[in-house]
Amino acid sequence: MGFKILLIIFTGFACGFAVGAGFVAFITVLGVIPRLMQLTKTMKMVVHYEWAVTLGAVAGGLFGLQNFQLSVHSFTAIIAGLLHGVFVGMLAAALYEALNVLPILFKRMNLDDRLIYLLMAIVLGKMCGSLFHWLYFPDFSTGS
Amino acid sequence: MNQTVYIRLRNRVQVRENAAVFLKDIALINAPGEMLDSLDNLVVHQVTKEDRNIVIIDGFKVIKMIRAKTGVDDIQLIGPEETIVEVVMKKKKMSVPVFLIVWLLLFTGSAISIMNFHEDVSMQKVHEKLFFLMTGIKDPKPLLIQIPYSIGIGLGMILFFNHLFKKRINEEPSPLEVEMFNYQQSIDQYLIFNEKKENMKRIDE
Repeated sequence: MGFKILLIIFTGFACGFAVGAGFVAFITVLGVIPRLMQLTKTMKMVVHYEWAVTLGAVAGGLFGLQNFQLSVHSFTAIIAGLLHGVFVGMLAAALYEALNVLPILFKRMNLDDRLIYLLMAIVLGKMCGSLFHWLYFPDFSTGS
Repeated sequence: MNQTVYIRLRNRVQVRENAAVFLKDIALINAPGEMLDSLDNLVVHQVTKEDRNIVIIDGFKVIKMIRAKTGVDDIQLIGPEETIVEVVMKKKKMSVPVFLIVWLLLFTGSAISIMNFHEDVSMQKVHEKLFFLMTGIKDPKPLLIQIPYSIGIGLGMILFFNHLFKKRINEEPSPLEVEMFNYQQSIDQYLIFNEKKENMKRIDE
């Protein structure tokens, strides 16, 4: 019995270890944190940012898997949503950059000088797609 | 007589069709005054139809030509070792329809890909649960999270690309601009290596 429990604890720990390592690798490869530090000129605080990401992941794991419940005012959801969105937006932008599609596309089409407008197409597209998804999509997809 | 000619080639220049390429077009020259004029108007290359749109002018050849013309022994080449000459056929004009099509392509593509992403990671369920965790209200459409979230996506991307429409947030180039610069550099490197016959020596001729 005791052995079984130990085995389960070990398995859970191993899963968490792998997922955590993968998460850090993902964040690192996309370079969101360096970009933020560069924009805000806070390179010295890198250790704190690392902790923020780590603690955030742990907290997310705990909150997501347990059934804790806070009863804060529903307007705090706005802040959470906004922060969440900025983070996902940065991830998406970083992915675009990592994939290297855009420089080639813009060059082939001779559109180098209209960079900003094309970037705005992507940004607005993301926002509109997201809004559409939340506002109208659930009504269709649930069906009943 | 102790005379030195310093030549600094430019990285990339543009010339018109069938133009003669002068030394002053492709390089910065520092030479004794009486020589400067003849160096300025030294024709290093004549663009022909066979050149297509890229010509590489090798610094070594330029040195040879200068020596032949002026007889100076000491010619110093500073900076790039070759110049990429781009023959501009006609003024490349951006066509508005192409621009619009690319714009729509990017807009629609990114809109649908974000929806796919949300479905993929069950963002709807996560938002519902998050909203319930925070407020204790069960809401199948927690728009209080989702609308700020959608706006946040845009903000995050702008932050990453460092553009607020036409205004920059600070003076650093955006990652995309750096990426485009790197891409151009790689192309130039490739051209220098492959267009210059001196760089390759094959047995089969």
